[in-house]
Amino acid sequence: MPKTLTSVLLLAFAVLLAACNSSHVKFSIVSGSENTVLEPIVQEFCAKQGATCTVSYKGSLDIGLGLQKPGGLDQDAVWPASSVWVDLFDTGRKVRNLTSIAQMPVILGVRKSKAAELGWVGKPVFMKDILAAVKDGKLKFLMTSATQSNSGASAYLAMLSSALGGKEVIEPGDLDNPSVRDTVGTLLQGVERSSGSSGWLADLYVDSAGKGTVYDAMWNYEATLKETNDKLKQMGKEPLYAIYPADGVAVGDSPLGFIDHGRGADVEKFFTDLLAYLQSDAVRKRIADTGRRLPLGGAAIQATAEPDWNFDPGKLVTSIRMPEPAVIRKALDLYQEALRKPSLTALCFDFSGSMQDQGEKQLQAAAQFLFTPEKASEVLVQWTPSDRIFVLPFDAVVRDTFEASGDAAGQGELLADVAQQRAGGGTDMYACADQALQKIVATANLSKYLPAIVIMTDGRTDGGSDLFLAHWRGAAVRVPVFGVTFGDADKSQLDSLAKATSARVFDGSGDLAGAFRAARGYN
Amino acid sequence: MAISRRAFGLGLLAAAAAGTGGYLTLKDRPEFRGYLGNKAHLFGFIGGEKQAFLADPDVVHALGGYGLELDARVAGSVEMVRESALLSQKPQFLWPSSSIMVDLARKSGVPVRNDQVVLNSPIVVYTWGPVVEGLKKSGLVTVAAKGGYNQLDLKALLDAILAGKNWSDLGIDELYGRARIVSTDPNRSNSGFMFSGLVLSLMSGDVATQELLAQHGDQAKAIFRGMGLKSSSSGKLFDQYIAGGLGAEPMVVGYENQLVEWALADPARWQRVQAGAGAKPEILYPRPTVYSAHPLIVIDPSVDRLLEALTSPKLQELAWSKHGFRGPLGTVTGGADAAIAGVRPAEIEAVLPMPSADVMLSLLAQLEG
Repeated sequence: MPKTLTSVLLLAFAVLLAACNSSHVKFSIVSGSENTVLEPIVQEFCAKQGATCTVSYKGSLDIGLGLQKPGGLDQDAVWPASSVWVDLFDTGRKVRNLTSIAQMPVILGVRKSKAAELGWVGKPVFMKDILAAVKDGKLKFLMTSATQSNSGASAYLAMLSSALGGKEVIEPGDLDNPSVRDTVGTLLQGVERSSGSSGWLADLYVDSAGKGTVYDAMWNYEATLKETNDKLKQMGKEPLYAIYPADGVAVGDSPLGFIDHGRGADVEKFFTDLLAYLQSDAVRKRIADTGRRLPLGGAAIQATAEPDWNFDPGKLVTSIRMPEPAVIRKALDLYQEALRKPSLTALCFDFSGSMQDQGEKQLQAAAQFLFTPEKASEVLVQWTPSDRIFVLPFDAVVRDTFEASGDAAGQGELLADVAQQRAGGGTDMYACADQALQKIVATANLSKYLPAIVIMTDGRTDGGSDLFLAHWRGAAVRVPVFGVTFGDADKSQLDSLAKATSARVFDGSGDLAGAFRAARGYN
Repeated sequence: MAISRRAFGLGLLAAAAAGTGGYLTLKDRPEFRGYLGNKAHLFGFIGGEKQAFLADPDVVHALGGYGLELDARVAGSVEMVRESALLSQKPQFLWPSSSIMVDLARKSGVPVRNDQVVLNSPIVVYTWGPVVEGLKKSGLVTVAAKGGYNQLDLKALLDAILAGKNWSDLGIDELYGRARIVSTDPNRSNSGFMFSGLVLSLMSGDVATQELLAQHGDQAKAIFRGMGLKSSSSGKLFDQYIAGGLGAEPMVVGYENQLVEWALADPARWQRVQAGAGAKPEILYPRPTVYSAHPLIVIDPSVDRLLEALTSPKLQELAWSKHGFRGPLGTVTGGADAAIAGVRPAEIEAVLPMPSADVMLSLLAQLEG
């Protein structure tokens, strides 16, 4: 055979092989933020297959709520922190082949010196010990919102279980028991900062430690605490000591499941191949290295225990029994409406000239959503009578300050006040933030509330942040300043303000309810 | 190589003769019928636990020998005999996981031509090594004199759960809190359904009747209420058991064949688990237990051949050795894969019949309320 023909044939063969290897599948996954650390492992597989994978991150309850909507989710796969949320919300049975990738107990990480001070090092600690420490004012912690994120919901359900005194499972009537409500309400008074995402909460802990603010403790996944401690150790900071509450914890099973949108057999095959890849021995080892538990994987693939902070993925933890779906729903409503720490929220509404027309409309729609209990409760962000709300419409100056509690009448008044505002004039969001801060700091019994400032704006502002930040640093409490943007917003100033105050900016121009749900998860 | 015309012709003749003789022989052997063409395509619904069996290439091949090709779609046992959305698709056969479903099918107006139990799988309890050790100490688990398998005094366990006993009271110090056992949702999945019948009969002290249900229904209800969130499918619950381990899923109800299928799906993994230091999965046989029978409900005459095939020694052996299903009377055909030798006894003593269909329907209604 002539040489040229051989090489042409070889080339053709190679091209053919390459074509076989690259599937050109586009595959999208919506996942809990705790899986950010696993994304490179997934992307490696996608690259090998010639597929384009996109991973977006949402709270597990948001993934559940998405499944519950008639249209469902757009993604090809879900990867929440626990299959409970799929069981609970996927009533249309859209998710198939749901398979656990790893086990992740939700535990309490306590700053090591604090744990020693509380006498918790090297001893079994029960929820009642944690309760006593909170009651005595000796312990505060970070915990995600139970109505948004699986780790918060898990910690909350473990608290409820424990408050029942070791009953096998939470039943509907238990939630009306005053002593249970009292115990859990007291435990939740320990919340110092909240968020809608476990990953973000862990970042907050590390960032704050870098800035010199050291929080006492954080409820999070065992594996996320390992990630956090790896970073803290690198920074030369004190690690969080792992407390595995001896009376039971909730364990997330981190399941990956397929949603069939009828996009063809190659998409489903890609999913099953991805699943097989994640379950292969080599990849299981890499997953276990992140601190995740893989039962039956054996000691060979388990991450090494780190006794200096009590981390031991081989340690047996008893998990609480998840209650019936109706009970979980009721427990979540109870959290939002009665047991969570009340919020103290100052809302700055930008009614400056640049907000005319479109921006103004979006702002009024936002107020409608925020102050209409039926709408807000659909996505579990309703206010409660014990919440305090300030509304500050502003342009170049703060036009007025309205104030109400979170009951229906108070919300109605705030809605009417906002409805009267018309856009016009200059802009100074820092002036509004400053006044909001003063209102918050002047509130009686401030420690009973989770404070936050939310600025709703298109982002174009005059003035500077220096004076506000000076006041902010001088304040007795750390008040995060969140942003919700409208129109074609310029996010840069808002972003740096959020960053300086350990908060976030959300885009309200597309999915308004989603942005507020996200923002509200942080207080 | 050269071959003469004559030799070639003789060769053809010989081949033809062999072919004809072969054809005559094959025609009388039903298991080879399929190799002669004209395969019948049969459509029906099956319980999910038989999916792996029917997808097994050896099974597909053996059924192919009978001239059969199945379009078997998975549905819940209860829904396949009751849901009009499924029955209106005109299935030629139904293969649920409980004999009671035959009665329910008749009640829904399904024209049942014939029905016969083809496979059996006892309801078992899946647990972990340390639990077995503890329960042996407290006397709830004993080793069967015949067969040497672990049998569980289920009545005593249920009583302990109802009395609010802790794991430590039952001899298991590794686990904290109340003892518990979890099954699937009896209203959605067959293993939970069978277990609810067994629980009611045990509480009643006899195979449950309407009168006994009136007396003991509350106890059965309390057992199921204590389970909390229940899975909708036996396969899912078994996966949760394996994935969750001792701490998350100390005791779950399932079919005997599930662990066998899991072990054989990846023998290397099974070896590793057996050799490892961690808690190992274990089967407990409740004493007494109930059999989940798998009756093939024949609607279309063309399915008669499927019944013949499934009860043949060849397929019965595949069902046992590769998928852990027992035969029509709970007996076993052939050996088992060496990888899982000793996992299951050949024979199980003390099997209780299920309560009748009307008692079960009343029980289901109570458990839902």
